[in-house]
Amino acid sequence: MSAIETVRDRYRTFDDQRYAPLVKGVALFGLLAALPTIIEIDVAGMELAALLSLKVLILTVIYAYTAQAWNIMSGYTGQFSFGHAAFFGIGAYATQALVVDAAVNPWIGMLVGGVLAGGYGLIIGALSFRFKLQGHYFALATLAFAELLRFVVTNMSELRGANGYFKAFPRDYGAEYGLVAFQFQNDLPYYYLIVGFLLVVTLVSWLIKNSWVGLYFFAIREDERAAASVGVPSFRYKLIGVAVSAFFTALGGAYWSMYFNTIRPDTVFALFKNVELLLPAVVGGPGTLLGPIVGSFIVTPVSEIARTTFSDINGLDRIIYGAFLVAIVIYSPRGVVSWPSQARALWERVRGDEEVNE
Amino acid sequence: MGHLVTSVAPLPLQGGGLGRFIDPFVQFLTDITNLEPVLLQLLAFGLLLGGVYALTALGLTMIFGVMDVINFAHGVFLVVGMYSVWLVSEMAGISPFLGIPIAAAVLFVLGVVVHVLTVEPIIEAPQQNQLIATLGVLFIIQSAIEIVFTPDPQQVELSLGSIQVGGVFIPLGQFYALVIALGTMLAVRAFLNRTDLGRKIRGTADNRDGARYVGINVRRINYLTFGIGAALAGVAGGSIALFQRFDPFTGETYLINAFVIVILGGLGSFPGAFVGGLIVGMIQVFGGYYLPGTTAQVLIFLLFIGTLLVKPEGLFGGAEA
Repeated sequence: MSAIETVRDRYRTFDDQRYAPLVKGVALFGLLAALPTIIEIDVAGMELAALLSLKVLILTVIYAYTAQAWNIMSGYTGQFSFGHAAFFGIGAYATQALVVDAAVNPWIGMLVGGVLAGGYGLIIGALSFRFKLQGHYFALATLAFAELLRFVVTNMSELRGANGYFKAFPRDYGAEYGLVAFQFQNDLPYYYLIVGFLLVVTLVSWLIKNSWVGLYFFAIREDERAAASVGVPSFRYKLIGVAVSAFFTALGGAYWSMYFNTIRPDTVFALFKNVELLLPAVVGGPGTLLGPIVGSFIVTPVSEIARTTFSDINGLDRIIYGAFLVAIVIYSPRGVVSWPSQARALWERVRGDEEVNE
Repeated sequence: MGHLVTSVAPLPLQGGGLGRFIDPFVQFLTDITNLEPVLLQLLAFGLLLGGVYALTALGLTMIFGVMDVINFAHGVFLVVGMYSVWLVSEMAGISPFLGIPIAAAVLFVLGVVVHVLTVEPIIEAPQQNQLIATLGVLFIIQSAIEIVFTPDPQQVELSLGSIQVGGVFIPLGQFYALVIALGTMLAVRAFLNRTDLGRKIRGTADNRDGARYVGINVRRINYLTFGIGAALAGVAGGSIALFQRFDPFTGETYLINAFVIVILGGLGSFPGAFVGGLIVGMIQVFGGYYLPGTTAQVLIFLLFIGTLLVKPEGLFGGAEA
């Protein structure tokens, strides 16, 4: 038996253990936690940090987080949302409006945003599902609900119209730099905070996936009518999916608004934001737990590095984005995380042929 | 144009209160009862804008109706049409009017290439995959234009002036665009109804499997449809370039409004696209005049959502391709 096969067999035995997901999760998040240190390691006089700054890492984990949240609705229940910028923007705006205009602590604003986004998600879902919108029509409806908010906010002087909000200093809402204020003086705590966010949403995803709720979700995705005929209350469970997904997406928006200095309708509700929020999940593998995280670590650093390295060529990062989109849906609609199993299947087929030939 | 009208009456972002929702409508009704001449002017602007909007939606509704594909690249196809006309008139010194057929030819080829490379391989896949693929095409072409021609706005050097008809001011650039829009719509309608190929396209739109059974080469129909749809975007973009400045991102607004028009008018319906275009054009022009800021766009999206929910087949069914 070759060494590779021994390793593989050991891995399979490990994979069957009940504690396997826990070990994998700890390993994954341990790696994420260690990343800021890893990128500063000197390899042959080159630091990875020269390419991959902490800022890029933060952005990467933000999009891993939002894609994980999007995945709960669109990956698991199969209701493809093209309008998650609505929830993201609600989270950002609720937080900033409360912090700046009412000196409310951002953590409270974040939760308010999450609840509001969940409510907006319920409205979108209840209307769309009640009127049985599917496929293209559902995607267009979600997009319309997001664009609607963009124009509503742009035209509301109460929410400062097109100018948006400028983040307040912690002392303006009676706090000091730190976790309570949701503001830090350097990037490292911000990074750990968003990794924490990702951990929470991944845990929630995992719990959903491994419960009867997830079972219902997947049944709805595979064949809604069949699911309904065996008694799955599909309307209610689709709504649960939307609400949970919207809630967590809004928390991502809140984080965004506390990390960057300004928010405007054109940034948090942008048409392009709808794509950025879901792309990692599509690239990594929709409906999988690992897909959004893997996808974000592929898409975000590459386009960020393209943007900073070729800063004189505006738009190169979008070309890379576009190429990813096209290539993934044509060649690998199940995402990057399906590659190992596909490679294994290919390998076994090749080997099988060889055995026949012998 | 929407912003042309807003520049006539610049309304600042107004303060709070319910008045800002009610006052504009009161003002509108007073103007109607007083038979204000401005109404006629707005009507003319609405008609001009609506006609062009209808033209921007034609290609989209055709691809949607025949192939059941939402082509997100449609907006950037319009932009390619604008730049084609601009290049032809600036570099080669040819009249921009002759540039429009050239833009149509360029877009036909581009459409077929895009279709063969990105849509055809996944035509049977779940619908969101085609949406994502065409979205990718949108980003690639848009950024390529941005890199080659810079993000700065461009303009076709053409001063057509305007005419006055019964006290109504009509910019000739927009008037020609409307004429082109109407002519194109009639031509495409005749093509679909009278020619053999047109009938095959309509047959495929009605029933893809049925079309296959009676011996229609559906693959060929697909790429021809995509090519023609793109060519229509070329005509539309070229016509817009006659009277408006544009940049690589101009397509986004037109794309969103084209979606609204397609859904409003009914999937694949040409008369529907025309009526839908007029509705959206009128809302933008009247809304731009009476309502503050870009509130008119809010109305358009509410109408869009309402139509999607209550009558997703649109005003004109979807019987026609």
